Amino acid sequence: MSSAPSRTAARPAKPRPSFAVPIGLIAFLAISWASLSEAFGIGLDLGALADSITRGGGILGELLAPNWSFLPRTLPAMLETFQMAVIAAVVGCGIALPVAFLASRITAPNLPTFIADRALLSVIRAIPDILYALVFVAAVGIGPLAGIMALVLFNVGVVAKLLSETVDGIDTGPLEAGRAGGANRTQTVRWAVLPQVLPNYVAYSLYTFELNIRASTVIGITGAGGIGNQLFTQYRFFNWENVSVIVVELFVLVFLIEYVSIWLRRRLV
Amino acid sequence: MTEARRPATARPERPSRAKRNLALIGVALLVGWAAATVDVDLGSIPQLPGGLGRVFYEMYLEAGPEWSYLVPAMEAMLESLQIAWVGTVIGAVISLPLGFFGARNVSSGLASNVMRQILNGIRAFPEIVLAIAIFIPIAGLGPVAGALAIGLHSVGTLGKLTAEVIEGIDPGPVDAARAVGGRPLQVQRWGVLPQVLPEIIAFWLYRFEINIRAAAVLGVVGAGGIGFVLSQAISFGRFPRAGTIILVVVVATIAVDMLSGSIRQRIISGAGAKRVRGDEMEQPELVERTAGGIARP
Repeated sequence: MSSAPSRTAARPAKPRPSFAVPIGLIAFLAISWASLSEAFGIGLDLGALADSITRGGGILGELLAPNWSFLPRTLPAMLETFQMAVIAAVVGCGIALPVAFLASRITAPNLPTFIADRALLSVIRAIPDILYALVFVAAVGIGPLAGIMALVLFNVGVVAKLLSETVDGIDTGPLEAGRAGGANRTQTVRWAVLPQVLPNYVAYSLYTFELNIRASTVIGITGAGGIGNQLFTQYRFFNWENVSVIVVELFVLVFLIEYVSIWLRRRLV
Repeated sequence: MTEARRPATARPERPSRAKRNLALIGVALLVGWAAATVDVDLGSIPQLPGGLGRVFYEMYLEAGPEWSYLVPAMEAMLESLQIAWVGTVIGAVISLPLGFFGARNVSSGLASNVMRQILNGIRAFPEIVLAIAIFIPIAGLGPVAGALAIGLHSVGTLGKLTAEVIEGIDPGPVDAARAVGGRPLQVQRWGVLPQVLPEIIAFWLYRFEINIRAAAVLGVVGAGGIGFVLSQAISFGRFPRAGTIILVVVVATIAVDMLSGSIRQRIISGAGAKRVRGDEMEQPELVERTAGGIARP
């Protein structure tokens, strides 16, 4: 364009190329190749998969023709799934409240407690819910109690982590005021910290309840009660038309809960 | 004290608590109903600590964990990690274009609504259900079915997040790209993608962390990985072996979480964006909820 009034600043120097991007790209490709390969990984072969789609076609056909007369027999298990989710959410969120306060730098009484609680939380969060269910079924036998306990641990992990991070970010003014007024630790937490994080706590609790509905549908696969148990039984006997009834039901339940929860949130605002 | 000096200002009226109390009563009724009708034998609750103690004792204390099974357990965990990786890659590759279609500011209103509903529908199915009902029939028992199930579920979650990130971009670069005559694809490539890529890659890594847990679980239904050996060990009562497996799951999961977390931190803060904070990333609706100050009790 106009080169005459070239009083403009010189073009800034191009930043030096970063090595992080090519290294990351190479690492990504190498890991992906190894994971996909037959020799080192899971051996995902698209050609073979395309062939087997036709083989699975018969089963998919059965899945698309649900046996609706099976529906009434699934309702008690569905109800149990819902009950498990409710109880586990309440118990889990209740336990998570003190655990979260011990896991925040601001409210933990001392460093060892803080570190121990943090470590415990990351172990709890590292174990997937169904593995808990397997262990609890071994400990207390088949039934919803094992599933509820597994969900409780799962919820404690999620809520305590989220809430402790929220506590880390609070305004410390009220805390200092409480301390200056001579409140002890419990009192400061109750009157200076809790009111600040309560809305978040309620939101996290609603969120874990939604997670529980999803999780409790599958947790029963281990025998820990609920619809997952029935789903797995029908799957093992290859009753695909019954499997698909349960899958459709799960879909409806998850959607329904999500919409109710959205509606509730709107009402609460 | 003050009432003598400042008679004009009355103490503000206490806001009504009717709504809050009503909500509390509702919750209490729901919980009471669930606790009263659920099929749990109350007599079995006191046995819970004992039962857990017995399992823990047999796993780790009686004869120690079964160290000779450490290598097979690590191999199974590696398979779980690979399932999670492949699933995440499938999810990332498919969800990126779908996310563009799902973003209201990039695609049209109708197209984005349709795409959002499709993504919501996919997300509603847990991985295990996808494995049982779709991918094990197609691909047979094994890790491939697991990876495909995780991949499809990830398309749902990652697509939604991608769309949300794109909806939050600064429109300036897009206008600039359009003003200099960029074709639609070029506008997306140079106006949108550079703005959203760091955050989206961080989401992919975070999804990988979640998928490791999902992959560890899928083995229970025969879709490969460490869940299979664990459920075998427990159902045959080989608790020391189960103890070793759980140890491997915990250590590997925490190690990958830490590594992936530090990479995410680098990607996001290197790009000058906001700090990554754990789970809130996966659930932006959660952040919205909290930010919107919902559920004021």
